[in-house]
Amino acid sequence: MNTPPTIDGLTPSALVTPLSAAELADTLAQAAADGLKVAPIGGGTALALGNPPERVDLALSTLALNGVLDYEPSDLVLSVAAGARFADVQALLAGHGQTLPLDPPGDAAATIGGLIATALAGPRRLGSGTLRDLLIGIAVAHPAGIVTKSGGMVVKNVTGFDLPRLYHGSLGTLGVIVSANLKVLPRARAEATLIARVVALDDALAAADRVRASRLRPVALEAALVDGAWFAAVRLEGRPATVATLAAEAAGLLESDTETLHGTDSAAWWRRYVAHQAVHAAPDEALLRFAVRPRATADLVRAVLRAVDGSGAIPRAVMASVGVGTVIVRAALDPEGAAATLSSLTATISPIADHVTVIAAPPAWKRGLDVWGGAPQTLDVMRALKSHFDPERVLNPGRFAGRI
Amino acid sequence: MSRAHDHLIERLERILGPGGVFHRPADLLVYEYDGSVEGAVDTAAPVAVALPTTTEQVAAIVRLANEFDLPVTPRGAGTGLSGGAVAQRGGIVVALTRMDRILEIDPEDRTALVEPGVINLELSEATIPGGHFFAPDPSSQKACTVGGNVAENSGGPHCLKYGVTTNHVLGLEVVLPDGRVVWTGGRAGHAPGYDLTGALVGSEGMLGIVTKALVRLTPNPEATLVELAAFPDVESASLAVSRIIAAGIVPAALELMDNLTIQAVEPAYHAGYPMDAGAVLLAELDGIAEDVRAEGEDVAVLCRETGATSVRVASEKPERDLLWKGRKMALAAMGRLTPNYYLHDTVVPRTKLPAALRRVAEVATEYDLPIANVLHAGDGNLHPLILFDRRQPGAVERVLHASHELLHSCVELGGALSGEHGIGTEKRAALTLVFSADDLAAMAGIKNSFDPKSCFNPEKLFPAGYRCGEVRALRAQALAQKLGIYAM
Ligand SMILES: Cc1cc2nc3c(=O)[nH]c(=O)nc-3n(C[C@H](O)[C@H](O)[C@H](O)COP(=O)(O)OP(=O)(O)OC[C@H]3O[C@@H](n4cnc5c(N)ncnc54)[C@H](O)[C@@H]3O)c2cc1C
Repeated sequence: MNTPPTIDGLTPSALVTPLSAAELADTLAQAAADGLKVAPIGGGTALALGNPPERVDLALSTLALNGVLDYEPSDLVLSVAAGARFADVQALLAGHGQTLPLDPPGDAAATIGGLIATALAGPRRLGSGTLRDLLIGIAVAHPAGIVTKSGGMVVKNVTGFDLPRLYHGSLGTLGVIVSANLKVLPRARAEATLIARVVALDDALAAADRVRASRLRPVALEAALVDGAWFAAVRLEGRPATVATLAAEAAGLLESDTETLHGTDSAAWWRRYVAHQAVHAAPDEALLRFAVRPRATADLVRAVLRAVDGSGAIPRAVMASVGVGTVIVRAALDPEGAAATLSSLTATISPIADHVTVIAAPPAWKRGLDVWGGAPQTLDVMRALKSHFDPERVLNPGRFAGRI
Repeated sequence: MSRAHDHLIERLERILGPGGVFHRPADLLVYEYDGSVEGAVDTAAPVAVALPTTTEQVAAIVRLANEFDLPVTPRGAGTGLSGGAVAQRGGIVVALTRMDRILEIDPEDRTALVEPGVINLELSEATIPGGHFFAPDPSSQKACTVGGNVAENSGGPHCLKYGVTTNHVLGLEVVLPDGRVVWTGGRAGHAPGYDLTGALVGSEGMLGIVTKALVRLTPNPEATLVELAAFPDVESASLAVSRIIAAGIVPAALELMDNLTIQAVEPAYHAGYPMDAGAVLLAELDGIAEDVRAEGEDVAVLCRETGATSVRVASEKPERDLLWKGRKMALAAMGRLTPNYYLHDTVVPRTKLPAALRRVAEVATEYDLPIANVLHAGDGNLHPLILFDRRQPGAVERVLHASHELLHSCVELGGALSGEHGIGTEKRAALTLVFSADDLAAMAGIKNSFDPKSCFNPEKLFPAGYRCGEVRALRAQALAQKLGIYAM
């Protein structure tokens, strides 16, 4: 339908769905000429990310740009329009025994463009990297009314500056991604997941550490609290016989009451797990992400738990990626004074975490803080980039780091 | 020498000490070149070469260059193959070879913090005993620096499985063109803001000088297997490549060498490549022992099915090293065949490899130049080696024409201008083959944002005469064209 979605409590006056990249670029140019502010929208699964926009007049949907532009399975590369849904792309690839080895949060509705713009990544980041590592080319529409491309359809390419990396995670503030070229990989022939139920956080961390120190190369390794129970989870992939051997080894390392899931059961378990990281918060909760160097993960989770407890908040999910250094927490806050609680919570952790990000929270709670936890040292270079690509600040003004 | 010149040298020496500045013509000579073949890229002499040992010194040099309004060209080992380290407009070359300390190896975080002048191979040699290696492995790894790898986003045989340099750089300390020192990225993920680390990797020394790099280390594989398959011709070897990839196997490396290369390599290094083979394929598999064993068997079967006349398997290190030696020394061995060679670097989609190799053979015939092929076949990355003798009149011109022809063909096949070596001055004129004026304007945005005065490594990457204008200016142009007004 043509009802624009709400972004942090603000409702754009119109939703436009251009039918081509050129039309999208024209729309942007027109918006710039008319002094309108634009929020690009893909699947709408991560609209809660970022500071509340300063203003938004127009929601610009990429959903009509949804085709596969080029796919030659033997080349292991794919070119896809930005509005293509992640789940649809995965289904297409699966038909050829291939995959994007990613498990981003958000439901099946997330689009490729949105995933690039938000740089959201799930637990698989440990073993497979992120979309940043798969991106080999990109086309972007700018408020100047032009579409520019960089990279290409080859897996190794140093022809010109590396713009794909710059756009990745730029939250639509430099342009609207209209298509992307991605490396794809053969799908693993088999997978297994081991879930070790434990009594407390320290047991989960110890179990995960034993796996990390072993010969196993898990694609994901988590210590987590979900639905009131602590566990360590290990995801393994490879050839069927190898996976069976490694799963037995993992069970030995985990040393506790361990459940082993195979194949589609394993994949389904991770989909449910990652759903707890979806960029969305109930009216009484906030979703936070903390990042440290990998070796500091255990200290970080402990400190986060203490701070959450101390603030009177109730943790609904605590998910630590061991070996990555990321901890994601979904916590319920007493609505009374919640904004202040959220601020003090992030302030308490800031000294020990490199980055604290409020991924999602009710708009009223976000007003008093910078959800990105402050501006980087290179803010002036960021501003220069912004003023080159979007001098009138048409795109997502105020939402990204440094309120760019 | 002029007084301004003397004054500059004096000021540089005040920053670096007398031993840290080269300025006599004889001392500058080697800095006029990089690793490229003469004639393929220009040479140029800097006013002075500065050899700092600290970040503060680098920053002071850059501020001084600003004061004297001189261009700055960063330089590592000078092994670059696209003219990147040549001071095209003179000025100061900042050579980082004396900043060569490995500052920290952290096996738990799986990272290393290094100065830019650390030699690529020395980093892996330092980390392997502790269980890790630095994955980017350009064939020049005994000489090239990590700073140069970062600037060129270098690749190597093992990029097929492990990715190129940008996939292994977590953070950078950089001296910006205004002399400020900043950090981008870092040990933790999810740094807020634009991915400036990503923009800096592959920026060919045009945006800043890398003074420290925080790089990712990869755990040593539990098992490694190398197979050498001999084929009657290049076609069947490249068919094997497609079959291996299509079977869902991602080898650590998959390298192809043609008969001409074998002729050069085998007599010199006795790696055991059959002299009568039309091509050999070198496949390395690594990872968990069980998988490596099974994949090794699959690869051998696929090679035989596609026509391999022999497959040798090496699992022990000395034998693996011997098989690799032929590949690693391929360039050095070319001297046996020819006084000069031009090493080309282009890349095509994997399935276009046979077509690209056919084209290479046609160009060899058309221009009457022998061309040897050594390629990162699994990535579609070709390295045709055009053999010539520069003493023959017109030889260099013929080589350059042939190379341009190859570039064109690879672009027509859906490829790119360079897979590893960069654009520099070598391919700047060709950039418009793949990018429109608008595309270039977006790249200019990066250049302007870091280096508004365009004093860092000028006259590189962008086509000659290109002004790094604003995207904004293009709007008028785009609208005018749409309306059919070609006023501009
Ligand atoms: C025999 C041979 C084989 C090769 N094989 C490969 C290969 O397999 N794969 C591959 O990718 N390349 C290869 N190369 C090319 C070359 O070795 C790489 O590009 C290498 O990374 C360059 O490193 P360097 O230290 O020599 O840099 P230089 O040649 O000194 O400089 C290269 C560029 O980097 C910039 N630069 C250097 N240091 C810094 C710094 N600290 N900060 C900012 N900018 C800097 C320079 O300005 C220049 O633009 C090969 C070269 C040779 C001669």
